[in-house]
Amino acid sequence: MSSKINHHHQNDKTNGQIFPQPCPHLADFHARNGTKPFRAIQDCLHIKPPGGRAAIRRDSSEVPRCGVCGDSSCPRLYACMACAAVSCHVPPHSSHVAIHATKTSSACSHEIAVDVDRAELFCCACRDQVYDRDFDAAVVLAHTTSIIQSSKPENLRKRRRIDYRPWSPDLRERSLMVNNASPIDSMSSSNGDLPRGLRGLNNLGNTCFMNSVLQALFHTPPLRNYFLSDRHNRYYCQSKNGVRLCLACDLDTMFSAIFCGDRMPYSPAKFLYSWWRHASNLASYEQQDAHEFFISMLDGIHEKVEKDQHKPRRNGDCCIAHRVFSGILRSDVMCMACGFTSTTFDPCVDFSLDLEPNQGSSMKTSSTKTNHSCNCEADGMNSSQNCGISTLMGCLDRFTRPERLGSDQKFFCQQCQVRQESLKQMSIRKLPLVSCFHIKRFEHSSVRKMSRKVDRYLQFPLSLDMAPYLSSSILRSRFGNRFFPFDGDESNTLNEPSSEFELFAVVTHTGKLDAGHYVTYLRLSNKWYKCDDAWITEVNENTVRAAQGYMMFYVQKMLYYKASEKQGTS
Amino acid sequence: MSAKRSSINRPPTPDVDRDRENQEPTLQEIINIKMIESGEKERLKELLRERLIECGWRDEMKSLCRAYTRKKGRNNVTVDDLVHVITPKGRASVPDPVKAELLQRIRSFLASTAT
Repeated sequence: MSSKINHHHQNDKTNGQIFPQPCPHLADFHARNGTKPFRAIQDCLHIKPPGGRAAIRRDSSEVPRCGVCGDSSCPRLYACMACAAVSCHVPPHSSHVAIHATKTSSACSHEIAVDVDRAELFCCACRDQVYDRDFDAAVVLAHTTSIIQSSKPENLRKRRRIDYRPWSPDLRERSLMVNNASPIDSMSSSNGDLPRGLRGLNNLGNTCFMNSVLQALFHTPPLRNYFLSDRHNRYYCQSKNGVRLCLACDLDTMFSAIFCGDRMPYSPAKFLYSWWRHASNLASYEQQDAHEFFISMLDGIHEKVEKDQHKPRRNGDCCIAHRVFSGILRSDVMCMACGFTSTTFDPCVDFSLDLEPNQGSSMKTSSTKTNHSCNCEADGMNSSQNCGISTLMGCLDRFTRPERLGSDQKFFCQQCQVRQESLKQMSIRKLPLVSCFHIKRFEHSSVRKMSRKVDRYLQFPLSLDMAPYLSSSILRSRFGNRFFPFDGDESNTLNEPSSEFELFAVVTHTGKLDAGHYVTYLRLSNKWYKCDDAWITEVNENTVRAAQGYMMFYVQKMLYYKASEKQGTS
Repeated sequence: MSAKRSSINRPPTPDVDRDRENQEPTLQEIINIKMIESGEKERLKELLRERLIECGWRDEMKSLCRAYTRKKGRNNVTVDDLVHVITPKGRASVPDPVKAELLQRIRSFLASTAT
């Protein structure tokens, strides 16, 4: 594992968030009031289920009013931290809270106040919201005290990590390498301008579903590195375990064939036969689903791993397939009546995303968090209604947004001891090294006894930041973006993989549900190559962007070798 | 003379405007109080919040704030500035169905509490 690049920020940075410096009045308040300045507020923090909004009330039925004008209907009421006087703030008309702040004397400072409806700190002198870690901690504490804390599940105990140690070969190892290996031809050979590792796959009878996924896997950096560095040697495996069904051995054979430099299309017949034996229910010459094949193949690699390795399925350490693709999803179900939240963690090897059902109803444009943006101007509500391009980030927003479980899906709440309506929210606890996004384009309805394909175009970015979909971000926004280390934030962020991903393969589907064709686009050295069974051609990036994405493969940016690096030196 | 009682060092009690208490509360105030006491105001606020999130209004406001902050510079913007900038646009862009739904709810509340 390479070490993470440090960010050179002058501000205090905790868990990837930049923490603003306190204004002089807030710093002064802290200095005057000791170590737990917000202790008094703790008792007044009331959390209102089901949204979990924090409010400041002396007792739960209090109606706050401005002490000066008696108004209780103005939108922003502030309670002074020193004397609990409530004042209103309606700039530019009147700000009674600013007047109140002038009462500040050397003995007592009335400059810091708290918004009674939003539980946010306000500095009356600076006339702006301010942020404080202790205060945020108090708010989060108020949220969580009533909820029974479940103990961390088994599969989340941190495994011991070993430090990164650089390696260079000694003389003996060097001679071993020279004597037992032959150098690969350099780039400028007669192979022309196609990079190494590009080789067509013959269609053996409707096997484009397999060819497309295989092309993507051959260029999945961690998987490619694993097999090319001989981590699963087929000769050794067979000599040790006898000649038996081993998908990893067949994959090893294919990697050797694909990267050997031969440009003639390769026929993955043996692998197909092995896969049929593994997934006998799919063994036919009929068209299959590429995603189903992908899952089945990962499962096959996992199953056939040597059983004597004593590596239980913990943090996805069991086999190369899981080390590369396995992540952890977090599912929170919150009772709408009492706020009690039940959390479960489940491993996953990919993300299956729904396409938004209807463009007319949603006004959501793509979020500004990505590098690309929806081209239409969001200057008026009505115009943005027509800007209904589905984007990958939009699908991810949908995936992680809170979903109301209807009255027919009531969840048993442990605190209420009865079935209640609940709110469910998914988030990503741990990102895999390679994220595969599968777009659910094939709808099978058992009710209507029909299947159909959704052809709608989906826009996908070349670079993707998954930070907003992590559990830490989702939890943080649930509590109002407080500065607080949440469960899910590792104490040492240096060892955590980053959340930035780069696209390297796109599996596309054209045609109908039962008669279609899969094609894969690969990104190598920042050029795009179309892999259509046995035919490999270089294509323009715009061709890829316009294609109908079915499965998109993203790898963590730190594992993605940039365009400038030559193949030979990587 | 005994030592000063600690009550003397207490922060000053906020002044209560005596005049206000003797005036009759306006109809608006009565309704407001009734709504708060019955919890209806809170429910309406939650409903409105939900509708405005669903239709993308909140994201719209967020991006307006972001654009404004980017233009002015992060350290030159206060909450008051943002509120001042987005309030007119926000008020104007609340979708009509949302307004209608809320008005309907308020009407039925008033009808139910009219005694």
